[in-house]
Amino acid sequence: MEDLDRPHRIAWLALLAVALVVPFLVNFDLYLIHVGIIITFNVSLAASLWLIWTLGVISFAHAGFMGIGAYASALVLTKLGLSMWYGLWIGAFISGAIALAISIPLMRTRAVYFFMASWAVGEVIKRNFAYFKDFFGGWDGVFDIKPPVLDLGFLQIDFANRVAYYYLALFAVTATVWVIHRVNSSRTGMIYWSIHENELLAQHTGINVFRHKVICFTIACTLVGITGALYAHYQTYISPKTFDIWKSEFALVHLIVGGLTTVGGPVAGAISLTIVDELLRATGYFRTIFFGVVLIASVLLLPGGLETVPGRLRKLFQRTSGR
Amino acid sequence: MYELEARNLQMKFGGVTAIAGLDLVVEEGEIRGLIGPNGAGKTTFFNACSGRYPITAGEIRYRGHTISGLKPHEIAAQGLVRTFQHVTLFKKFSVLKNVMAGNYLHAQHSYWGSLLRTRKTREAEAGSERRAREILDFIGLGHIAHQQAATLAHGHQKMLGIAIALAAEPRMLLLDEPCAGMNNDESREMIALVRRIRDTGITIMLIEHDMKVVMGLCDRITVLNFGNNIADGTPEEVRANPEVREAYLGSQAHVA
Repeated sequence: MEDLDRPHRIAWLALLAVALVVPFLVNFDLYLIHVGIIITFNVSLAASLWLIWTLGVISFAHAGFMGIGAYASALVLTKLGLSMWYGLWIGAFISGAIALAISIPLMRTRAVYFFMASWAVGEVIKRNFAYFKDFFGGWDGVFDIKPPVLDLGFLQIDFANRVAYYYLALFAVTATVWVIHRVNSSRTGMIYWSIHENELLAQHTGINVFRHKVICFTIACTLVGITGALYAHYQTYISPKTFDIWKSEFALVHLIVGGLTTVGGPVAGAISLTIVDELLRATGYFRTIFFGVVLIASVLLLPGGLETVPGRLRKLFQRTSGR
Repeated sequence: MYELEARNLQMKFGGVTAIAGLDLVVEEGEIRGLIGPNGAGKTTFFNACSGRYPITAGEIRYRGHTISGLKPHEIAAQGLVRTFQHVTLFKKFSVLKNVMAGNYLHAQHSYWGSLLRTRKTREAEAGSERRAREILDFIGLGHIAHQQAATLAHGHQKMLGIAIALAAEPRMLLLDEPCAGMNNDESREMIALVRRIRDTGITIMLIEHDMKVVMGLCDRITVLNFGNNIADGTPEEVRANPEVREAYLGSQAHVA
């Protein structure tokens, strides 16, 4: 069982502390808090995608499963009148259940075939939302997905308030990353990485590779289902296009820029690239071009991603101090 | 009851017959050599025993249980574990972590335990690490436990492959060319290691091309040719067998 060493623990706690005081630092600026909430969604998406990556594959259906969580929670509200406190868990459950069913055939494919199959799954999920107009609202999507109100009797928190929602989203992303970290730093993570490293050998040491692949995929999709539900109730509007392949691809870019070997990678990648993306918003049509330049530059200049930065700095420091 | 028993085993790949009705038994506690020219079906036999490829016909029994048809992880769980001809490791893991990963069957893994880090899980992991260190000390890789597997010398990588297999705590080991690509010193070390493993009560079957190794190490030898068992016996018997000379080494050859 690999526990975090001190520098890592301090870094994580510092990140959490900064995230906690961010609303005060930005003087409750609504736009900046909005960016903060988007960051939490992107971090959850990238981190749970990374959990699947620990098996050695990337699922392009991941945003689709986020969509399943979002639609489930939204429809539970608009059709049944149940608030997000129910929708969240129903969304997570349905996303996980569908992931379990789909991963049974999906996990029999490998490498490039898995990518193609997961791509198809993602596309099918999106098209289903669009096709079943009466139920899912077609390409127009679902409107008026109200954020919940937390009633503790003595205290009422209306999550229509953006600052309140920020803390809710922050709590969710912290829990998500914590779960992924726990899974990854335990025997379970060792199993996933051994499948990643050498599936044949993993099988012959007695690991039921197929079973663990299915469970891993299900856990990741359950987590992203929760993220989807939170997304739906924050934006109050969802459409099939929100959860298309491109969203999965952006999460993949977050992974690559952030780094692939630790959960810090997707977290760093999602935070920094979401900020870059927002900074580039002012450039209008050039936004995607600049985004592409940032991506290429980071891959060329920083192979291994942002997670290698601390190690590089340490090396640099040692070299200069040793001289 | 035999340790390992193949009855009328057939393995076909499309039109190619790799093993054609093989009968073979291995007794508990022996070191059995499996030799034969290239393409005789030696590795295919290991692949059949370990469940890597499905068998075409016949039966394989391990300690009285039919194992043909089972998946590789189920066969490993019964105590029959193999190594590979080519270096097969978790290359980015440290040496210690390689062996700990190999210890999966005895690490009492559970998802809730991983998430909640219960006392039972922590104890199981500590036990697994202890066991891995024991195995590394036994193999003689204890001093490089924290090195990355990919950076090891070839001989050490082959030994680590065996350490991973031992971590599954097998009762029988199938070693596919343990000495392949080794120099003389490394070979000698490997031979000593195989003997020590047998002395702990593990039955061993090994494929090997180096006749000196096979003749010196094995209690009994089975000779395959074109997927058939053409001879079976002690090294002396096999060496004296004219059919073996004819089929395997060519009629003019002199067996070492």
